[in-house]
Amino acid sequence: MKTILMKPMLKRSRKENENLVGYTLLAPWLIGFLVIFVVPMAASLYYSFTNYNMLRAPRFVGLDNYVRMFTQDDSFWISLRVTFFYVLVMVPLRLAFALFIAMLLNTRRKFLGLYRTFYYIPSIVGGSVAVSIVWKQIFGNDGVAMSLLAAIGIEQRLSFIGNPDTAIWTIILLGVWQFGSSMLIFLAGLKQIPSSLYESALIDGANAWSRFWRITIPMLTPVIFFNLILQIINGFRVFTEGFIITDGGPLDSTLFYVLNLYRRAFTYFEMGYSSAMAWALVAIIAFFTLILFKTQSSWVHYESKEGGR
Amino acid sequence: MTKRLRLPTIMAFLLSVMIMISACSGGTGNSGANGAGSASTSSKQETSSGTNAGSGNDNSDPEPVKLSIAWWGSQTRHDYTQKLLDLYTELNPHVTFEATPSGWDGYFDKLSAQAAGGKLPDIIQMDYQYIATFSNNDLLADLQPFVDNQTLDLGRVDENIVGSGRVNGELTGIAISSTAMAVTYNPDVFANAGVEAPIPEWTWEQFIDAMTRIADNTGKLGTESLIDTQTFSYWVRQHGQHLFKEDGSALGYEDDAIMVEFINMVKSLQDNKSMPTPDERAQYESRGKEAMPVVTGDAGVRFDWANFTVITAGSNPNLKLVTPPLKGGGENGLWIKPGMFFSVAESSNHKEEAVKFINWFINSKEANDIIAAERGIPVSSEIRDYLKTSLTPQQQDMFDYLNVALQYSSPIDPPEPSGFAEVSKEFIDAVNKVMYDQISPEEAAQNFRKVANQILERNAN
Repeated sequence: MKTILMKPMLKRSRKENENLVGYTLLAPWLIGFLVIFVVPMAASLYYSFTNYNMLRAPRFVGLDNYVRMFTQDDSFWISLRVTFFYVLVMVPLRLAFALFIAMLLNTRRKFLGLYRTFYYIPSIVGGSVAVSIVWKQIFGNDGVAMSLLAAIGIEQRLSFIGNPDTAIWTIILLGVWQFGSSMLIFLAGLKQIPSSLYESALIDGANAWSRFWRITIPMLTPVIFFNLILQIINGFRVFTEGFIITDGGPLDSTLFYVLNLYRRAFTYFEMGYSSAMAWALVAIIAFFTLILFKTQSSWVHYESKEGGR
Repeated sequence: MTKRLRLPTIMAFLLSVMIMISACSGGTGNSGANGAGSASTSSKQETSSGTNAGSGNDNSDPEPVKLSIAWWGSQTRHDYTQKLLDLYTELNPHVTFEATPSGWDGYFDKLSAQAAGGKLPDIIQMDYQYIATFSNNDLLADLQPFVDNQTLDLGRVDENIVGSGRVNGELTGIAISSTAMAVTYNPDVFANAGVEAPIPEWTWEQFIDAMTRIADNTGKLGTESLIDTQTFSYWVRQHGQHLFKEDGSALGYEDDAIMVEFINMVKSLQDNKSMPTPDERAQYESRGKEAMPVVTGDAGVRFDWANFTVITAGSNPNLKLVTPPLKGGGENGLWIKPGMFFSVAESSNHKEEAVKFINWFINSKEANDIIAAERGIPVSSEIRDYLKTSLTPQQQDMFDYLNVALQYSSPIDPPEPSGFAEVSKEFIDAVNKVMYDQISPEEAAQNFRKVANQILERNAN
């Protein structure tokens, strides 16, 4: 295939040919990228400066949407607060849990592959509608959790999902439960740590605790960094759980940012405003990613000292 | 070696089982009903296009047309509407349908997304709450020309009902039923609690008393809930005022005490356990109407529309209707409203065929044999007379109820203003904050006024 393509082109300069082949092979991706990514993004940027309601042509309103967001819209701040709380609690818990399981699986045991698969399953099904419905059944009114509590004598009128103080925690629990992909990345990272380091530490009499803190964690920092960025971005985008399990309630206690944005667009017909919210979210995520990259040099250790990056 | 081979196989098997389970359980929600609905539609289309091809040979039929149609409703409605579409195709082989049945939740979300894509269904079941929003954005066709050229015969429909589908002078919705707010009650629950069945003259005091006694005597719920804008609108109208100003630019009532009084009543019902907490309510609200507590005998009453007992007749044929409680010395708060409309999308290429179907829906006896007043009382007087001979007890109740309701009614408010969906959500949140003991009723009423007026003002521009 390649030779057939290349032969007639030999007359031209080799570099030109290579570019052409490269772009041809790239085209399917590039077209997809432009059509379903760049164009909609540009459109939403434009809409964010309009009063577009999806039903009629947009009218330019300048910065009105952004001004309203920061000065008049209580729900914007509520959803921001809820989402920050979720990310700040869920991501560290998920990573800690993922690391813990990864370390358990990084030993030589029987059926390791089986365990690995089992622990990964929640991540496959985790963000889906189906699991959200299951969660609703477990923690909702008349759910398993309430029945179990009632069986041991704790009767309460509000379920975990129905209580504004606990609803977010059921969703955080679901988030932590989906630790599988982080776990796999940690597992790969753990396998990269040379065993010679542990051996010499053992000879020097280091106990398990200091081996963990002085070898495992420092050697893992690039992987931790990678996971952290990935999970923070994912965390800010949480939607399905809040949409299905609690529908943002009770009393907006699980009104995630993207859920709020979705409602503005499709329930209240405020696509322009909703686009502005989307761009605010892009800015927030970019900000956090940037901060993380800036702090990188002070805590992330790369293995080789020269040219590790 | 064998072990190495087996393990991945087992894992792959387990994984696929898991995925299948999750796929199945996903189907038990709304999507299940939708999926079933569209599946049966497509199979029907195959058969109908078959007959179409057959008959196309011997006479020159009109161009084959495929009408898309969307409605909300329960499974009962999905089933018979599909039958109805099949019958229409049988009678008019050149017309086939692409049906999108849906629950009420998310129905208008979907429509707005379709509107954005310029792909609204040809025939849209439309609600009084949304007709202004859609009409003001020029999405619905003016059907007056079809009335003028006799394609659509509204000769036997009351002019007030026809008028409810006019927005800014254009006839953008054809009312296909009329209805009114009604209290559905379960006589067995009342009897078991030793509470006498309600009568149209009952007052809110008697209502509270009855609900409390049901809860005290049987441990069941008195009422399913009262926290919604329709009930509150009824409450405000009993005070001689209106929820919204005529032009929809702000709340229509001046005195926050009206809302405070309402919240106090609702709160007292929740506290004595004759009304569920918002949490307990959420648990059953996602079920179909057929499984509501009043139907299953777990609650005394439910506030809904007059066609509720017709919808749930298959699950519990014993339910009865009564007018909502009166305010002592208050005004007539009820109103007769168009149950729902059929609208035709402005973007539709088959407006005339769509209108013909609507005409058949309203005026044909064979269609109304199938519809059986499930969507509310038919608008055509001829159809009403025709149905009278064959009414089920529930339908008879509904017909009688609307006559009673008329005596407690005053003229209908204008269609809900743009922004109503958000105002409605804010209302429920404001009341629920009191239900969760977070704020006082006075604060709730003040907050609601502030937020609601903001929303209405923003949408009025």
